Amino acid sequence: MSYFDDVPRRSFLRACAITAAGLVAGSSVVSRLEALNRFSGPEDPEVPNEEIARILDRISGGRPIRRGHVSLDMPVVAEDGRVVPVMIETDLPMTPDNYVKAVHLIVDHNPDPLLAAFHLTPALGAVSLSTRIKMKRTTWVRAVAQTSTGELWADYSRVRVTLNGCG
Amino acid sequence: MSDAIGEARIKVPGHITRGDLITVNSIVSHPMDTGFFRNAEGEPIPAYFIKEVVVTYGGDEVARFEWTSGISRDPVVSFTLKAEKEAPLTMVWSDNKGATFKQSVNISFAAA
Repeated sequence: MSYFDDVPRRSFLRACAITAAGLVAGSSVVSRLEALNRFSGPEDPEVPNEEIARILDRISGGRPIRRGHVSLDMPVVAEDGRVVPVMIETDLPMTPDNYVKAVHLIVDHNPDPLLAAFHLTPALGAVSLSTRIKMKRTTWVRAVAQTSTGELWADYSRVRVTLNGCG
Repeated sequence: MSDAIGEARIKVPGHITRGDLITVNSIVSHPMDTGFFRNAEGEPIPAYFIKEVVVTYGGDEVARFEWTSGISRDPVVSFTLKAEKEAPLTMVWSDNKGATFKQSVNISFAAA
């Protein structure tokens, strides 16, 4: 059952994501889009356009999205944009009075950036989701977890795409 | 995967004890066409994709996934489940043309 053998590589990814975040923060783009970056902290990827801002606004209801408690594991380089493995985990509680009720997966430069929403319940016992996605080109991917108590936690990965997977 | 559209499989561990946190793996055969491609004759291939997956465990909805055509062909998804009861775990995949595909496995506990 080779379908189930995709195991992303975490520590390498983390290191590269942090490096990439640093690079992006360094090359600050002075534009009207700065106004859209009210969502992100200094270490976070910039919100690239109004569509992503609208998506984040709708998910968050305007509340802050903080980095932490979520781990988004993706390859640093995706050779085939048609099949890019994704793994999302959190260390947030999954108890009846405090649980992750949704995880949103956003790919900044895809034609349909809000790629998936996973609605969850405490019956799952934990959050450990994996799937495979299509990516059009090199971009940031965002995983945003929403708790039943109204907190929003996220992680980001920059994935370099060699072969366009969206047509 | 060369199965017919909608062929689905769910895999759970062979040995489960009550209270285990198990991993559920699933796959469904589906083209997941984005609508952005053309066929060899140059005609557009219409969007055709799984848009929703509902997971129930003993009749209770435990998860629901909203998807777009950005999920890869022959969608796989895996997630955890707290095995608290002996009951069927059922997944229903629905596509944007109104078809639904269903698969179930029984969660049963190994004798102590």
